[in-house]
Amino acid sequence: MENLMNFDTGLMFWTWLTFLIVLVVLGAKAWKPMIEALEKREEFIRESLEEAKAARHEAEKVAAEYDEMIAKARHEVQEIVATGKVTAERIKEDILKDASAKAGSLLKQAETQISLEKEKAIAEIKTQIVELSIFAAEKIIGKSLNQDDNKKLVNDALQQFGKS
Amino acid sequence: MAGHGAQEVEHTLSIGDKIIGHIANSGVLIPLHIGGFDISITKHVVMLWISAALLITVALKASSRYRKSELPIPTGFSNAFEYVVDFVRTGILIPNLGPKHALTWGPLVLSFFFLIVTMNFLGLIPIFSYLHDVHGHGGSTATGNFNLTVALAIITFLSIIIAGSKEHGFMGHWKNMVPGNVPKPVLLILIPIEILGMFVRPFALTMRLAANMSAGHIAMLAIFAPIFLLHNVYVGIGSVAMNVGITFLEIIVCIVQAYVFTLLSTVFIGQAIHPHH
Repeated sequence: MENLMNFDTGLMFWTWLTFLIVLVVLGAKAWKPMIEALEKREEFIRESLEEAKAARHEAEKVAAEYDEMIAKARHEVQEIVATGKVTAERIKEDILKDASAKAGSLLKQAETQISLEKEKAIAEIKTQIVELSIFAAEKIIGKSLNQDDNKKLVNDALQQFGKS
Repeated sequence: MAGHGAQEVEHTLSIGDKIIGHIANSGVLIPLHIGGFDISITKHVVMLWISAALLITVALKASSRYRKSELPIPTGFSNAFEYVVDFVRTGILIPNLGPKHALTWGPLVLSFFFLIVTMNFLGLIPIFSYLHDVHGHGGSTATGNFNLTVALAIITFLSIIIAGSKEHGFMGHWKNMVPGNVPKPVLLILIPIEILGMFVRPFALTMRLAANMSAGHIAMLAIFAPIFLLHNVYVGIGSVAMNVGITFLEIIVCIVQAYVFTLLSTVFIGQAIHPHH
């Protein structure tokens, strides 16, 4: 009992001295470097996480920009195609209008030509009919009227022929 | 009948003495006096030295890569050691002192925790029963000796004053101990209480650690005692089984008591740095 409760200055002294040695040696060589390393690592991890977050944010921004660009490009393409269609349609209409106008004028020309040819042919036929009639009449009558008489006769006949 | 009873009482007393003898420090192993002070080497001094030597060796080895590299990647033992250091740092230092003071007071707090835990565990190893003169022939624990724990508590006591003075100035520290906005008559009660509290805290630290580290040994010896009281070897089966359990419990107590001493010391230092009044 005596030994348990007595005041032991020696043990107190050695406790202080030993603790001081532990504190000085390990404080400088172990505890401080370890605490600093742990703090640095925490800082490093925090920074890394923040950087990762910032990088992800940046990537998302870039991706959004790309999406926007693609959407814009698609829109532009659509516009170009639409404008092209409209232009093509207009050109087509122009060509058709042109062609039909040209065709119309050609037809008219041809009609004019045809009616001209027809008149010419009719006139020729008329002349030939006169001559033939004279020839036939000469043959029939056996006597030739003078040329003027003949012509007058035939013309009269023809006029009547044309009227009838 | 009466004579038998008296003999039994005497026998019980001698068992009590034996138990106390087991947990007590040895007498002087090597006498040493410096300037009138008795600093003789006893068993607990040797156990203290062994603990310190063991701790310094292990901690220096475990922390070698922290001295070499800025951002070390610990593996194996260093990693396990770092886990404990970080446990003290994030569980005790930062919550009580704040991250700014963790580096200032870290070495003291970590030295407290690791030295106490090493001494506690060393007391669990029964080989030190061979280190004695006429007294202290048991495998006692150095931290079960209140002379050692009072020395540690005095370090806490001084650290509280140093921490408060460093943060608020020497006079500021003492002013922080009493709240400013109380009526004067209350101060008459409050000041003595605070002064008392200043000494009660380290006293409680001293007694808690010493008593807890001795209690396990006393319990184990008391459980062994019936073998000798009843002169029956079969009682030993029960005693040994119970003491195996107590040994496992003591492993927890060793860690918990080191943690409690360290935590309370840090809380007191933290109160001096950040006064709540």
